[in-house]
Amino acid sequence: MAIRDEDILTITVDPMNRFERVFLPEVVKGFGTTIRHMFTSWGQGRTSRTIQYPEQRREHYKPEDGGMEPSTFRGVHRLNRDEDGRVKCVACMMCPTICPANCIHITAAESPWDDREKYPAKFEIDELRCIFCGMCEEACPVDAIELTTEYDIVGLSRQEMVFDKNKLLEVYDVTIDRKPM
Amino acid sequence: MPEFITAQLESLLTAQFIVSVVTILLVVHVILLTVAYLIYVERKLSAYIQDRLGPNRVGFDFGLPFLSFLKGCLGLGQPLADGLKFLLKEDYAPSRVDKALFTLAPIIIIVPALMGFVIIPWGGVWDMPGFTIPIIGIDVAGGPVHVTGAAVNVGIIYLLAIASLGVYGVTLGGWASNSKFSFIGGLRATAQMISYEIPLGLSLLAALLLTGTVMPEGIIRYQADNGWLIFSQPVAAVIFFMAILAEANRAPFDNAEAEQELVGGYHTEYSSMRFALFFLAEYAHMVTSSAFFALMFLGGYQLLPFVGDPLTSPGAVSFWAVLAKFGVFMGKVVLLIAFMMVIRWTLPRLRYDQVMTLAWQSVIPISLIVVVATAVMIYLGHTGVLPMLGLNLVIVLGILVAQAFMPVTNTNAKLPLYGSRFNPVPGEFVNTRPTDPTALEDRPEQGTAPRAV
Repeated sequence: MAIRDEDILTITVDPMNRFERVFLPEVVKGFGTTIRHMFTSWGQGRTSRTIQYPEQRREHYKPEDGGMEPSTFRGVHRLNRDEDGRVKCVACMMCPTICPANCIHITAAESPWDDREKYPAKFEIDELRCIFCGMCEEACPVDAIELTTEYDIVGLSRQEMVFDKNKLLEVYDVTIDRKPM
Repeated sequence: MPEFITAQLESLLTAQFIVSVVTILLVVHVILLTVAYLIYVERKLSAYIQDRLGPNRVGFDFGLPFLSFLKGCLGLGQPLADGLKFLLKEDYAPSRVDKALFTLAPIIIIVPALMGFVIIPWGGVWDMPGFTIPIIGIDVAGGPVHVTGAAVNVGIIYLLAIASLGVYGVTLGGWASNSKFSFIGGLRATAQMISYEIPLGLSLLAALLLTGTVMPEGIIRYQADNGWLIFSQPVAAVIFFMAILAEANRAPFDNAEAEQELVGGYHTEYSSMRFALFFLAEYAHMVTSSAFFALMFLGGYQLLPFVGDPLTSPGAVSFWAVLAKFGVFMGKVVLLIAFMMVIRWTLPRLRYDQVMTLAWQSVIPISLIVVVATAVMIYLGHTGVLPMLGLNLVIVLGILVAQAFMPVTNTNAKLPLYGSRFNPVPGEFVNTRPTDPTALEDRPEQGTAPRAV
């Protein structure tokens, strides 16, 4: 998007007065700020912003305290199931089209069921390429792909981090209690 | 034991010699350990200043289950882990480096850094009792000895000489690395050192004019009698502190290793223990400089200004007085280093031309004024704290007044630039409409035309 006139803020900085041009008084003021922060955050004090990760997690905090809002958090993907436990995806190819990182790979096939034409024979998401922008979730016409609240996923190889259809459905089974559809 | 050897040993093993050797051994080890932990302190302090926590996981359990009660410990095991990492990493030298100089540079930088401590009078004078060395049976006569590495008369001059040798290793390292970033870092360090040697020497001169001696012990005695020099020479003290920051390559004068511009500066091409030596030397320089400042302006080992308390005044010569003085001196050094760290996280790094401008256009003239004014005051015979404080006040006020008549430089002025949409050249019309037709189709009104004013 180009820069519009209303986006431009003109900031004028007043020229320094004679006292400020010596710099040292302002430097001393700066020391005050630094030392204040040092003592207020000493030993995880009042201003300390750290969440000590493996023991404390973002789920334990409110969003206003730096915690997680589960409804909008963009973690690892899942493939939703319908009422019969079948994969909800209709292989419309919306998500691989919109995906800016090109990390979704779908092979469509004719659906074995009567209520839809296509279904994904293969559905793979490369979680290492994914940038977790959530555009696949927005593009999906049947709410089949969703981002969950899980964020600490690990693997021992790159291949292991390419999640296939079964794994994505497993993620649904694990996370459906915490994040309903 | 043959007679002539005993005679030789007796003349060699004087009380001063024994105390000096013990002090050197003690101080070198204390300094090396301190330096390792200074890196930890720096990381911890900077973390707290930035509202983080810093290293807090590495303890002393070494992953062994039966030591698990030593886990955590505020991250105090971090320097050990870092040291181990440095030792075990590959000692890599890039191709086409000057091998001899490349190897020599870390040595040349660490040796002066560790040599400077030798004249610091850590413990003042100790009235040592005489004793007999057990196995070889040589009597050592007691008497007053200086608890310092070398009680030389020209201590301050020695320290100045050694401190300016420190930049030699930096320059050599930058030159030998065969890398443009290292080279620029080395050159910057050289130019900076040349510029800041002058205010360092001049501000020191202002203090030495008052003390009338360059012997460290004598300077402390002068300060015990006449009040600390930071009270009688505050302007010189500020300039001296700035100069030692620049000499130790500390922020805001750390242009030689400006990460954003020079990758790593003069030690870009170094790895493993050679890099660690550069790092150690930098922190050792900090310790030396702080000890130098404490010695010159903060009364050395005295706990309080103006009052001669029985334990840390120069007159106290008992063993416990020596220990107390040692502790007070070390405490001052640690506080000064903490202050240097606060400075690092408060002030942004100066641009290179600003560093030079600061030295040549403001600090050197001011220190010259201070030296001349001090000399005049000494000629007139007013060398007490109050007259000197008044003189400094007059100098500061004079600077403030004179600044109004100084030409204002516009080094940082915003320059108009052809094609810039933020600061176009007067009369220029800059079209910022998008050139992509789809963008125009979407929003035909998009795009602005800032006009030069």
